[in-house]
Amino acid sequence: MIEAHQLTRRYGDFTAVDGISFAVPEGEIVGMLGPNGAGKTTAIRMMTGFLPPSSGRVTVGGRDLFADPVAAKREIGYLPENVALYPEMRVEEYLAYRARLEGLERAAARRAIASALDRCLIADVRRQVIGTLSKGYRQRVGLAAAILHDPKVLVLDEPTVGLDPKQIVAIRELIRELGGRHTLLLSTHILPEVELLCRRVVIIDRGRIVAEGSPEALRERWLGTSQVRIGFAGAPPDPGAAAAALGALPGVEAVRAEGPETVHLECAAGADPRPEAFRLAVERGWTLRELAMEKASLEDLFVRLTTREEGAGEPAAGSAEEVAS
Amino acid sequence: MRGLLATFGRELRAYFFSPLAYVVLTFFLLVNGYVFWLILSYLNDPRARAGAPLELFFGQTIFFWLVLLFVTPVLTMRLLSEERRSGTIEMLMTAPVTETQVVLGKYFAALAYYAFLWLPTLAYVWVVAHYGSVDPGPVASGYLGVLGIGALFLAVGLFASSLAKNQIVAAMITFALLVVLFTFGLLESLVTGETAREVLGYLNLWQHMDELSKGIVDTRRLVYYLSAAGFFLFLTGRALEAKRWR
Repeated sequence: MIEAHQLTRRYGDFTAVDGISFAVPEGEIVGMLGPNGAGKTTAIRMMTGFLPPSSGRVTVGGRDLFADPVAAKREIGYLPENVALYPEMRVEEYLAYRARLEGLERAAARRAIASALDRCLIADVRRQVIGTLSKGYRQRVGLAAAILHDPKVLVLDEPTVGLDPKQIVAIRELIRELGGRHTLLLSTHILPEVELLCRRVVIIDRGRIVAEGSPEALRERWLGTSQVRIGFAGAPPDPGAAAAALGALPGVEAVRAEGPETVHLECAAGADPRPEAFRLAVERGWTLRELAMEKASLEDLFVRLTTREEGAGEPAAGSAEEVAS
Repeated sequence: MRGLLATFGRELRAYFFSPLAYVVLTFFLLVNGYVFWLILSYLNDPRARAGAPLELFFGQTIFFWLVLLFVTPVLTMRLLSEERRSGTIEMLMTAPVTETQVVLGKYFAALAYYAFLWLPTLAYVWVVAHYGSVDPGPVASGYLGVLGIGALFLAVGLFASSLAKNQIVAAMITFALLVVLFTFGLLESLVTGETAREVLGYLNLWQHMDELSKGIVDTRRLVYYLSAAGFFLFLTGRALEAKRWR
Protein backbone atom coordinates (compact mmCIF):
# COMPACT_ATOMS: atom_id res chain seq x y z
CA MET A 1 0.00 0.00 0.00
CA ILE A 2 2.85 2.35 0.82
CA GLU A 3 6.31 1.49 -0.38
CA ALA A 4 9.74 3.02 0.02
CA HIS A 5 12.29 2.28 -2.70
CA GLN A 6 15.92 2.98 -1.86
CA LEU A 7 15.01 6.12 0.03
CA THR A 8 18.01 8.25 0.86
CA ARG A 9 18.21 11.63 2.46
CA ARG A 10 21.37 13.62 2.99
CA TYR A 11 21.82 16.81 4.95
CA GLY A 12 25.11 18.12 3.66
CA ASP A 13 27.66 15.43 4.49
CA PHE A 14 25.37 13.70 6.93
CA THR A 15 23.24 10.86 5.62
CA ALA A 16 20.15 10.68 7.79
CA VAL A 17 18.47 7.90 5.84
CA ASP A 18 20.55 5.61 3.70
CA GLY A 19 18.82 3.59 1.02
CA ILE A 20 15.94 2.07 2.94
CA SER A 21 13.34 -0.02 1.12
CA PHE A 22 10.30 -1.59 2.63
CA ALA A 23 6.62 -1.96 2.01
CA VAL A 24 3.55 -1.82 4.15
CA PRO A 25 1.06 -4.24 2.61
CA GLU A 26 -2.63 -3.37 2.65
CA GLY A 27 -4.30 -3.92 5.99
CA GLU A 28 -1.09 -4.51 7.95
CA ILE A 29 0.31 -2.66 10.92
CA VAL A 30 4.01 -2.17 10.47
CA GLY A 31 6.17 -0.74 13.22
CA MET A 32 9.28 1.22 12.51
CA LEU A 33 11.60 0.86 15.41
CA GLY A 34 14.85 2.61 16.14
CA PRO A 35 16.71 4.57 18.77
CA ASN A 36 16.38 8.34 18.86
CA GLY A 37 18.14 9.90 15.92
CA ALA A 38 18.09 6.72 13.83
CA GLY A 39 16.35 8.46 10.96
CA LYS A 40 12.78 7.35 11.65
CA THR A 41 11.26 10.80 11.45
CA THR A 42 13.23 11.69 8.33
CA ALA A 43 12.10 8.46 6.69
CA ILE A 44 8.49 9.12 7.68
CA ARG A 45 8.64 12.70 6.47
CA MET A 46 9.79 11.46 3.10
CA MET A 47 7.07 8.84 2.99
CA THR A 48 4.37 11.43 3.67
CA GLY A 49 5.70 13.85 1.08
CA PHE A 50 6.92 16.53 3.47
CA LEU A 51 10.60 16.05 2.66
CA PRO A 52 11.76 15.29 -0.83
CA PRO A 53 14.28 12.42 -0.81
CA SER A 54 17.84 12.94 -2.06
CA SER A 55 17.27 9.79 -4.06
CA GLY A 56 14.80 6.94 -4.17
CA ARG A 57 11.04 7.12 -4.38
CA VAL A 58 7.84 6.44 -2.53
CA THR A 59 4.66 5.01 -3.94
CA VAL A 60 1.28 5.10 -2.26
CA GLY A 61 -1.23 2.65 -3.66
CA GLY A 62 0.92 2.48 -6.79
CA ARG A 63 1.05 6.27 -7.23
CA ASP A 64 4.41 7.99 -7.10
CA LEU A 65 4.37 10.48 -4.25
CA PHE A 66 6.59 13.00 -6.01
CA ALA A 67 5.20 12.70 -9.51
CA ASP A 68 1.58 12.97 -8.41
CA PRO A 69 1.75 14.48 -4.92
CA VAL A 70 -1.81 15.76 -4.54
CA ALA A 71 -3.48 12.47 -5.45
CA ALA A 72 -0.99 10.40 -3.44
CA LYS A 73 -1.26 12.61 -0.36
CA ARG A 74 -5.02 12.20 -0.41
CA GLU A 75 -4.50 8.52 0.46
CA ILE A 76 -2.37 9.32 3.50
CA GLY A 77 -3.41 10.35 6.97
CA TYR A 78 -0.42 11.62 8.90
CA LEU A 79 0.16 12.33 12.56
CA PRO A 80 3.53 14.11 12.82
CA GLU A 81 5.84 13.63 15.76
CA ASN A 82 5.16 17.09 17.12
CA VAL A 83 1.45 17.40 16.75
CA ALA A 84 1.29 21.03 15.74
CA LEU A 85 -2.16 22.58 15.84
CA TYR A 86 -3.41 26.13 15.65
CA PRO A 87 -3.84 27.12 19.29
CA GLU A 88 -6.42 29.81 18.63
CA MET A 89 -8.89 27.51 16.88
CA ARG A 90 -11.59 25.41 18.45
CA VAL A 91 -11.36 21.65 17.98
CA GLU A 92 -14.34 21.56 15.67
CA GLU A 93 -13.12 24.52 13.63
CA TYR A 94 -9.75 22.93 13.21
CA LEU A 95 -11.26 19.67 12.02
CA ALA A 96 -13.51 21.59 9.63
CA TYR A 97 -10.44 23.34 8.23
CA ARG A 98 -8.61 20.05 7.78
CA ALA A 99 -11.68 18.56 6.10
CA ARG A 100 -11.74 21.47 3.65
CA LEU A 101 -8.03 21.00 2.95
CA GLU A 102 -8.74 17.36 2.22
CA GLY A 103 -11.46 18.42 -0.14
CA LEU A 104 -14.46 16.94 1.63
CA GLU A 105 -17.87 18.27 0.68
CA ARG A 106 -19.77 20.11 3.37
CA ALA A 107 -22.12 17.27 4.27
CA ALA A 108 -19.40 14.64 4.06
CA ALA A 109 -17.17 16.81 6.23
CA ARG A 110 -19.86 17.14 8.88
CA ARG A 111 -20.30 13.39 9.02
CA ALA A 112 -16.54 12.76 9.02
CA ILE A 113 -15.98 15.25 11.85
CA ALA A 114 -18.73 13.76 13.97
CA SER A 115 -17.37 10.26 13.49
CA ALA A 116 -13.73 11.28 14.09
CA LEU A 117 -14.70 13.13 17.28
CA ASP A 118 -16.44 10.00 18.40
CA ARG A 119 -13.75 7.52 17.49
CA CYS A 120 -11.00 9.57 19.09
CA LEU A 121 -13.09 10.24 22.21
CA ILE A 122 -12.85 13.99 22.00
CA ALA A 123 -16.51 14.83 21.48
CA ASP A 124 -16.54 16.39 24.95
CA VAL A 125 -13.98 19.03 23.99
CA ARG A 126 -15.30 19.83 20.53
CA ARG A 127 -16.04 23.45 21.44
CA GLN A 128 -12.81 23.96 23.36
CA VAL A 129 -9.97 26.18 22.14
CA ILE A 130 -7.03 23.94 21.19
CA GLY A 131 -4.53 26.05 23.12
CA THR A 132 -6.22 25.04 26.37
CA LEU A 133 -6.12 21.29 25.74
CA SER A 134 -3.76 18.86 27.45
CA LYS A 135 -1.11 17.01 25.47
CA GLY A 136 -3.15 13.81 25.38
CA TYR A 137 -6.17 15.59 24.00
CA ARG A 138 -4.08 17.38 21.41
CA GLN A 139 -2.64 14.08 20.31
CA ARG A 140 -6.15 12.77 19.85
CA VAL A 141 -7.22 15.90 17.96
CA GLY A 142 -4.26 15.35 15.65
CA LEU A 143 -5.28 11.76 15.19
CA ALA A 144 -8.89 12.73 14.53
CA ALA A 145 -7.68 15.17 11.87
CA ALA A 146 -5.54 12.46 10.29
CA ILE A 147 -8.45 10.03 9.90
CA LEU A 148 -11.03 12.59 8.72
CA HIS A 149 -10.79 11.72 5.05
CA ASP A 150 -10.71 7.98 5.76
CA PRO A 151 -7.22 7.54 4.33
CA LYS A 152 -6.06 4.19 3.06
CA VAL A 153 -2.75 4.58 4.86
CA LEU A 154 -2.29 6.04 8.29
CA VAL A 155 1.22 7.12 9.25
CA LEU A 156 1.83 7.81 12.92
CA ASP A 157 5.17 9.17 14.10
CA GLU A 158 5.75 8.45 17.79
CA PRO A 159 2.07 8.66 18.65
CA THR A 160 2.47 8.08 22.39
CA VAL A 161 5.49 10.22 23.12
CA GLY A 162 4.99 12.65 25.99
CA LEU A 163 1.75 11.14 27.23
CA ASP A 164 1.00 9.89 30.72
CA PRO A 165 0.55 6.13 31.18
CA LYS A 166 -3.23 6.32 31.14
CA GLN A 167 -3.26 8.32 27.94
CA ILE A 168 -0.74 5.94 26.40
CA VAL A 169 -3.08 3.04 27.02
CA ALA A 170 -5.99 4.99 25.53
CA ILE A 171 -4.03 5.99 22.43
CA ARG A 172 -2.78 2.44 21.91
CA GLU A 173 -6.30 1.17 22.19
CA LEU A 174 -7.32 3.69 19.57
CA ILE A 175 -4.43 2.75 17.29
CA ARG A 176 -5.31 -0.90 17.55
CA GLU A 177 -8.87 -0.09 16.62
CA LEU A 178 -7.73 2.07 13.69
CA GLY A 179 -5.52 -0.79 12.54
CA GLY A 180 -8.68 -2.68 11.71
CA ARG A 181 -9.72 -0.09 9.15
CA HIS A 182 -6.51 1.39 7.81
CA THR A 183 -3.10 0.25 6.70
CA LEU A 184 -0.82 1.52 9.41
CA LEU A 185 2.79 2.59 9.58
CA LEU A 186 3.85 3.39 13.10
CA SER A 187 7.17 4.72 14.25
CA THR A 188 8.30 4.43 17.82
CA HIS A 189 11.27 3.89 20.05
CA ILE A 190 9.13 2.15 22.65
CA LEU A 191 9.40 -1.61 22.28
CA PRO A 192 6.34 -2.88 24.09
CA GLU A 193 4.32 -0.69 21.80
CA VAL A 194 5.59 -2.55 18.77
CA GLU A 195 5.18 -5.96 20.35
CA LEU A 196 1.67 -5.00 21.31
CA LEU A 197 0.49 -3.49 18.06
CA CYS A 198 2.51 -4.65 15.11
CA ARG A 199 2.70 -7.86 13.20
CA ARG A 200 5.71 -6.68 11.30
CA VAL A 201 8.69 -4.68 12.46
CA VAL A 202 11.36 -2.75 10.62
CA ILE A 203 14.34 -1.88 12.79
CA ILE A 204 16.28 1.16 11.72
CA ASP A 205 19.63 2.29 13.00
CA ARG A 206 21.79 5.09 11.65
CA GLY A 207 19.60 5.46 8.63
CA ARG A 208 19.67 1.82 7.56
CA ILE A 209 17.34 -1.10 8.03
CA VAL A 210 19.15 -3.57 10.28
CA ALA A 211 16.37 -6.14 10.63
CA GLU A 212 12.88 -6.74 9.37
CA GLY A 213 10.19 -9.32 10.10
CA SER A 214 7.53 -10.29 12.61
CA PRO A 215 8.50 -9.81 16.27
CA GLU A 216 8.52 -13.59 16.82
CA ALA A 217 10.61 -14.32 13.75
CA LEU A 218 13.07 -11.63 14.69
CA ARG A 219 13.39 -13.01 18.15
CA GLU A 220 14.04 -16.46 16.83
CA ARG A 221 16.41 -15.41 14.12
CA TRP A 222 18.55 -13.13 16.20
CA LEU A 223 18.21 -14.62 19.64
CA GLY A 224 17.67 -18.26 18.79
CA THR A 225 18.63 -19.29 22.28
CA SER A 226 16.32 -19.01 25.19
CA GLN A 227 17.53 -19.23 28.75
CA VAL A 228 16.48 -21.16 31.82
CA ARG A 229 17.11 -19.57 35.14
CA ILE A 230 17.59 -21.83 38.14
CA GLY A 231 17.55 -20.46 41.64
CA PHE A 232 18.80 -22.66 44.50
CA ALA A 233 17.57 -22.30 48.06
CA GLY A 234 21.05 -22.40 49.56
CA ALA A 235 24.03 -22.95 47.28
CA PRO A 236 24.64 -26.57 46.15
CA PRO A 237 27.56 -28.17 48.05
CA ASP A 238 29.78 -28.44 45.00
CA PRO A 239 28.96 -25.64 42.49
CA GLY A 240 31.49 -26.91 39.94
CA ALA A 241 29.98 -30.38 39.81
CA ALA A 242 26.47 -28.97 39.71
CA ALA A 243 27.35 -26.79 36.75
CA ALA A 244 28.94 -29.68 34.93
CA ALA A 245 25.89 -31.89 35.53
CA LEU A 246 23.53 -29.16 34.31
CA GLY A 247 25.70 -28.52 31.29
CA ALA A 248 25.45 -32.19 30.33
CA LEU A 249 21.64 -32.03 30.05
CA PRO A 250 20.28 -32.36 26.50
CA GLY A 251 19.69 -29.00 24.78
CA VAL A 252 21.89 -27.02 27.13
CA GLU A 253 24.69 -25.21 25.38
CA ALA A 254 26.31 -23.29 28.18
CA VAL A 255 25.99 -22.70 31.88
CA ARG A 256 26.56 -19.33 33.41
CA ALA A 257 26.66 -18.86 37.17
CA GLU A 258 25.21 -15.67 38.52
CA GLY A 259 26.17 -15.66 42.15
CA PRO A 260 26.27 -18.83 44.26
CA GLU A 261 22.51 -19.40 44.21
CA THR A 262 21.55 -18.69 40.61
CA VAL A 263 22.65 -20.19 37.31
CA HIS A 264 21.56 -19.55 33.77
CA LEU A 265 21.36 -22.30 31.18
CA GLU A 266 21.70 -21.19 27.59
CA CYS A 267 19.56 -23.49 25.50
CA ALA A 268 19.56 -24.46 21.86
CA ALA A 269 16.69 -23.08 19.79
CA GLY A 270 13.45 -24.86 20.65
CA ALA A 271 14.98 -26.87 23.51
CA ASP A 272 13.36 -26.91 26.93
CA PRO A 273 15.59 -28.62 29.51
CA ARG A 274 13.42 -27.74 32.49
CA PRO A 275 12.01 -31.25 33.14
CA GLU A 276 15.49 -32.77 33.03
CA ALA A 277 16.86 -30.05 35.25
CA PHE A 278 14.10 -30.73 37.76
CA ARG A 279 14.79 -34.46 37.78
CA LEU A 280 18.49 -33.78 38.20
CA ALA A 281 17.78 -31.52 41.16
CA VAL A 282 15.65 -34.19 42.81
CA GLU A 283 18.34 -36.77 42.20
CA ARG A 284 21.08 -34.63 43.72
CA GLY A 285 18.91 -33.36 46.56
CA TRP A 286 19.08 -29.63 45.60
CA THR A 287 16.25 -27.49 46.87
CA LEU A 288 15.03 -25.22 44.10
CA ARG A 289 13.61 -21.75 44.66
CA GLU A 290 12.84 -21.17 41.02
CA LEU A 291 13.08 -22.80 37.63
CA ALA A 292 12.01 -20.49 34.84
CA MET A 293 12.27 -20.19 31.09
CA GLU A 294 13.27 -16.67 30.02
CA LYS A 295 12.26 -15.76 26.52
CA ALA A 296 14.57 -13.23 25.02
CA SER A 297 12.59 -10.05 24.59
CA LEU A 298 12.53 -7.79 21.59
CA GLU A 299 14.25 -5.38 23.87
CA ASP A 300 17.37 -7.55 23.99
CA LEU A 301 17.28 -7.82 20.25
CA PHE A 302 16.90 -4.10 19.90
CA VAL A 303 19.81 -3.42 22.20
CA ARG A 304 21.96 -5.95 20.37
CA LEU A 305 21.10 -4.57 16.97
CA THR A 306 21.54 -0.94 17.79
CA THR A 307 24.48 -0.92 20.18
CA ARG A 308 27.57 -1.94 18.39
CA GLU A 309 30.82 -2.24 20.23
CA GLU A 310 33.69 -2.86 17.91
CA GLY A 311 34.01 -6.51 16.97
CA ALA A 312 30.69 -7.47 18.50
CA GLY A 313 30.25 -9.95 15.68
CA GLU A 314 26.74 -10.93 14.68
CA PRO A 315 24.66 -9.05 13.81
CA ALA A 316 26.96 -7.37 11.34
CA ALA A 317 26.64 -3.62 11.49
CA GLY A 318 24.45 -2.10 8.86
CA SER A 319 23.59 -5.26 6.98
CA ALA A 320 19.93 -5.65 6.37
CA GLU A 321 18.64 -9.14 6.95
CA GLU A 322 15.26 -10.18 5.78
CA VAL A 323 13.57 -12.65 8.05
CA ALA A 324 10.59 -14.55 6.78
CA SER A 325 7.58 -13.77 8.87
CA MET B 1 -8.94 26.15 -5.82
CA ARG B 2 -10.23 24.15 -2.89
CA GLY B 3 -6.94 24.38 -1.04
CA LEU B 4 -6.78 28.07 -1.80
CA LEU B 5 -10.23 28.69 -0.35
CA ALA B 6 -9.47 26.58 2.72
CA THR B 7 -6.29 28.48 3.57
CA PHE B 8 -7.90 31.80 2.67
CA GLY B 9 -10.77 31.13 5.06
CA ARG B 10 -8.55 30.00 7.90
CA GLU B 11 -6.13 32.88 7.51
CA LEU B 12 -8.85 35.49 7.37
CA ARG B 13 -10.40 34.10 10.54
CA ALA B 14 -6.99 34.06 12.16
CA TYR B 15 -6.69 37.79 11.47
CA PHE B 16 -9.92 38.54 13.21
CA PHE B 17 -9.10 36.28 16.15
CA SER B 18 -5.66 37.67 16.80
CA PRO B 19 -5.21 40.68 19.07
CA LEU B 20 -2.47 41.99 16.81
CA ALA B 21 -4.97 42.65 14.04
CA TYR B 22 -6.94 44.94 16.33
CA VAL B 23 -3.82 46.73 17.47
CA VAL B 24 -2.95 47.32 13.83
CA LEU B 25 -6.50 48.43 13.06
CA THR B 26 -6.47 50.88 15.97
CA PHE B 27 -3.05 52.26 15.08
CA PHE B 28 -4.08 52.56 11.46
CA LEU B 29 -7.29 54.40 12.18
CA LEU B 30 -5.73 56.66 14.82
CA VAL B 31 -2.91 57.76 12.56
CA ASN B 32 -5.11 58.15 9.51
CA GLY B 33 -7.73 60.02 11.51
CA TYR B 34 -5.06 62.32 12.85
CA VAL B 35 -3.64 62.87 9.36
CA PHE B 36 -7.08 63.60 7.97
CA TRP B 37 -7.70 66.07 10.74
CA LEU B 38 -4.33 67.73 10.04
CA ILE B 39 -5.22 68.01 6.37
CA LEU B 40 -8.60 69.53 7.10
CA SER B 41 -7.20 72.08 9.52
CA TYR B 42 -4.47 72.95 7.05
CA LEU B 43 -6.97 73.49 4.27
CA ASN B 44 -9.21 75.54 6.58
CA ASP B 45 -6.40 78.00 7.07
CA PRO B 46 -7.21 80.87 4.69
CA ARG B 47 -3.52 81.23 3.88
CA ALA B 48 -3.23 77.63 2.62
CA ARG B 49 -3.21 76.97 -1.07
CA ALA B 50 -6.40 75.39 -2.31
CA GLY B 51 -6.59 71.60 -2.60
CA ALA B 52 -8.90 68.66 -2.29
CA PRO B 53 -8.52 66.98 1.11
CA LEU B 54 -8.70 63.46 -0.27
CA GLU B 55 -6.01 64.14 -2.84
CA LEU B 56 -3.74 65.26 -0.06
CA PHE B 57 -4.73 62.28 2.03
CA PHE B 58 -3.85 59.71 -0.61
CA GLY B 59 -0.87 61.01 -2.37
CA GLN B 60 0.71 64.10 -1.09
CA THR B 61 1.79 63.52 2.48
CA ILE B 62 4.51 61.33 3.91
CA PHE B 63 2.00 59.93 6.41
CA PHE B 64 0.39 57.72 3.81
CA TRP B 65 3.73 56.02 3.24
CA LEU B 66 4.71 55.82 6.88
CA VAL B 67 1.52 54.00 7.67
CA LEU B 68 1.87 51.68 4.72
CA LEU B 69 5.52 50.87 5.42
CA PHE B 70 4.75 49.96 9.02
CA VAL B 71 1.42 48.25 8.67
CA THR B 72 2.06 45.84 5.80
CA PRO B 73 5.03 44.05 7.43
CA VAL B 74 2.93 43.50 10.54
CA LEU B 75 0.06 42.08 8.49
CA THR B 76 2.21 39.54 6.68
CA MET B 77 4.96 38.65 9.15
CA ARG B 78 3.00 35.84 10.75
CA LEU B 79 1.64 34.16 7.64
CA LEU B 80 4.31 31.57 6.85
CA SER B 81 6.92 32.06 9.57
CA GLU B 82 4.44 31.03 12.24
CA GLU B 83 3.54 27.85 10.36
CA ARG B 84 7.19 26.97 10.21
CA ARG B 85 7.93 27.89 13.81
CA SER B 86 5.04 25.92 15.25
CA GLY B 87 5.43 23.02 12.84
CA THR B 88 1.94 23.24 11.34
CA ILE B 89 3.69 23.61 7.99
CA GLU B 90 4.25 19.86 8.09
CA MET B 91 0.52 19.25 8.17
CA LEU B 92 -0.05 21.82 5.44
CA MET B 93 2.60 20.38 3.13
CA THR B 94 1.39 16.82 3.58
CA ALA B 95 -2.21 17.78 2.88
CA PRO B 96 -3.38 17.24 -0.70
CA VAL B 97 -2.88 20.88 -1.70
CA THR B 98 -0.15 22.57 -3.67
CA GLU B 99 2.27 25.22 -2.46
CA THR B 100 0.73 27.67 -4.88
CA GLN B 101 -2.70 27.20 -3.35
CA VAL B 102 -1.33 27.76 0.13
CA VAL B 103 0.62 30.85 -0.87
CA LEU B 104 -2.28 32.39 -2.78
CA GLY B 105 -4.77 31.56 -0.05
CA LYS B 106 -2.67 33.34 2.52
CA TYR B 107 -1.94 36.23 0.20
CA PHE B 108 -5.57 36.91 -0.60
CA ALA B 109 -6.45 36.70 3.07
CA ALA B 110 -3.84 39.37 3.83
CA LEU B 111 -5.13 41.46 0.95
CA ALA B 112 -8.69 41.11 2.18
CA TYR B 113 -7.73 42.18 5.68
CA TYR B 114 -5.75 45.08 4.25
CA ALA B 115 -8.81 46.18 2.29
CA PHE B 116 -10.83 45.87 5.47
CA LEU B 117 -8.38 48.23 7.19
CA TRP B 118 -9.08 50.88 4.59
CA LEU B 119 -12.82 50.44 4.74
CA PRO B 120 -13.39 52.90 7.61
CA THR B 121 -11.56 55.61 5.68
CA LEU B 122 -14.65 55.78 3.47
CA ALA B 123 -16.01 57.83 6.36
CA TYR B 124 -13.57 60.58 5.39
CA VAL B 125 -15.04 60.56 1.93
CA TRP B 126 -18.47 60.86 3.46
CA VAL B 127 -17.36 63.74 5.69
CA VAL B 128 -15.90 65.64 2.78
CA ALA B 129 -18.94 64.92 0.63
CA HIS B 130 -21.26 66.04 3.42
CA TYR B 131 -19.56 69.36 4.11
CA GLY B 132 -18.18 70.06 0.70
CA SER B 133 -17.97 68.26 -2.58
CA VAL B 134 -16.14 65.15 -3.70
CA ASP B 135 -14.93 64.35 -7.16
CA PRO B 136 -15.54 60.59 -7.31
CA GLY B 137 -12.96 59.91 -10.01
CA PRO B 138 -9.79 60.79 -8.09
CA VAL B 139 -11.16 59.13 -4.96
CA ALA B 140 -11.71 55.90 -6.86
CA SER B 141 -8.26 56.04 -8.45
CA GLY B 142 -6.78 56.85 -5.04
CA TYR B 143 -8.28 53.67 -3.63
CA LEU B 144 -7.10 51.82 -6.70
CA GLY B 145 -3.57 52.95 -5.89
CA VAL B 146 -4.00 51.94 -2.26
CA LEU B 147 -4.99 48.45 -3.37
CA GLY B 148 -2.31 48.17 -6.03
CA ILE B 149 0.55 49.25 -3.82
CA GLY B 150 -0.86 47.18 -0.97
CA ALA B 151 -0.93 44.16 -3.28
CA LEU B 152 2.75 44.69 -4.03
CA PHE B 153 3.78 45.33 -0.42
CA LEU B 154 1.87 42.34 0.92
CA ALA B 155 3.48 40.05 -1.64
CA VAL B 156 6.89 41.29 -0.49
CA GLY B 157 5.84 40.67 3.10
CA LEU B 158 4.62 37.17 2.37
CA PHE B 159 7.91 36.40 0.67
CA ALA B 160 9.87 37.64 3.70
CA SER B 161 7.65 35.55 5.94
CA SER B 162 8.63 32.45 3.99
CA LEU B 163 12.30 33.18 4.66
CA ALA B 164 12.31 33.52 8.44
CA LYS B 165 11.02 31.37 11.24
CA ASN B 166 10.80 34.36 13.49
CA GLN B 167 7.97 36.82 12.91
CA ILE B 168 10.00 39.83 13.96
CA VAL B 169 12.78 38.89 11.59
CA ALA B 170 10.21 38.48 8.83
CA ALA B 171 8.81 41.93 9.60
CA MET B 172 12.27 43.48 9.55
CA ILE B 173 13.12 41.86 6.20
CA THR B 174 9.83 43.12 4.81
CA PHE B 175 10.45 46.60 6.11
CA ALA B 176 13.95 46.66 4.61
CA LEU B 177 12.72 45.44 1.21
CA LEU B 178 9.85 47.91 1.22
CA VAL B 179 12.16 50.79 2.08
CA VAL B 180 14.34 49.80 -0.87
CA LEU B 181 11.32 49.60 -3.18
CA PHE B 182 10.03 52.90 -1.92
CA THR B 183 13.29 54.79 -2.16
CA PHE B 184 13.89 53.70 -5.75
CA GLY B 185 11.63 56.55 -6.70
CA LEU B 186 13.30 59.05 -4.43
CA LEU B 187 16.62 58.25 -6.06
CA GLU B 188 15.24 59.56 -9.33
CA SER B 189 16.25 63.09 -8.48
CA LEU B 190 19.72 62.00 -7.41
CA VAL B 191 20.98 59.94 -10.31
CA THR B 192 22.23 61.57 -13.49
CA GLY B 193 22.16 58.74 -16.07
CA GLU B 194 19.31 59.06 -18.52
CA THR B 195 18.31 55.38 -18.47
CA ALA B 196 18.63 55.08 -14.72
CA ARG B 197 16.40 58.11 -14.34
CA GLU B 198 13.82 56.62 -16.60
CA VAL B 199 13.83 53.26 -14.84
CA LEU B 200 13.66 54.83 -11.40
CA GLY B 201 10.95 57.17 -12.61
CA TYR B 202 8.95 54.17 -13.68
CA LEU B 203 9.33 52.73 -10.18
CA ASN B 204 8.65 55.99 -8.35
CA LEU B 205 5.85 54.97 -6.02
CA TRP B 206 5.49 58.44 -4.54
CA GLN B 207 4.97 59.85 -8.02
CA HIS B 208 2.47 57.10 -8.78
CA MET B 209 0.29 57.89 -5.78
CA ASP B 210 0.51 61.58 -6.53
CA GLU B 211 -0.89 60.93 -9.99
CA LEU B 212 -3.48 58.45 -8.84
CA SER B 213 -4.76 60.77 -6.13
CA LYS B 214 -5.36 63.35 -8.84
CA GLY B 215 -7.31 60.87 -10.90
CA ILE B 216 -4.61 60.06 -13.44
CA VAL B 217 -4.67 56.33 -14.00
CA ASP B 218 -1.65 55.06 -15.89
CA THR B 219 -2.00 51.35 -16.58
CA ARG B 220 1.79 50.96 -16.56
CA ARG B 221 1.65 51.57 -12.81
CA LEU B 222 -0.88 48.83 -12.29
CA VAL B 223 1.11 46.48 -14.49
CA TYR B 224 4.14 47.20 -12.32
CA TYR B 225 2.30 46.46 -9.04
CA LEU B 226 0.69 43.30 -10.28
CA SER B 227 3.72 41.86 -12.03
CA ALA B 228 6.01 42.64 -9.11
CA ALA B 229 3.48 41.14 -6.71
CA GLY B 230 3.28 38.06 -8.95
CA PHE B 231 7.05 37.83 -8.97
CA PHE B 232 7.28 37.92 -5.17
CA LEU B 233 4.49 35.36 -4.84
CA PHE B 234 6.37 33.12 -7.24
CA LEU B 235 9.49 33.53 -5.10
CA THR B 236 7.45 32.68 -2.02
CA GLY B 237 6.35 29.40 -3.56
CA ARG B 238 9.94 28.61 -4.53
CA ALA B 239 11.22 29.50 -1.06
CA LEU B 240 8.63 27.27 0.53
CA GLU B 241 9.73 24.41 -1.68
CA ALA B 242 13.44 25.10 -1.17
CA LYS B 243 13.09 25.03 2.62
CA ARG B 244 12.11 21.41 2.39
CA TRP B 245 15.20 20.52 0.42
CA ARG B 246 17.53 21.63 3.16
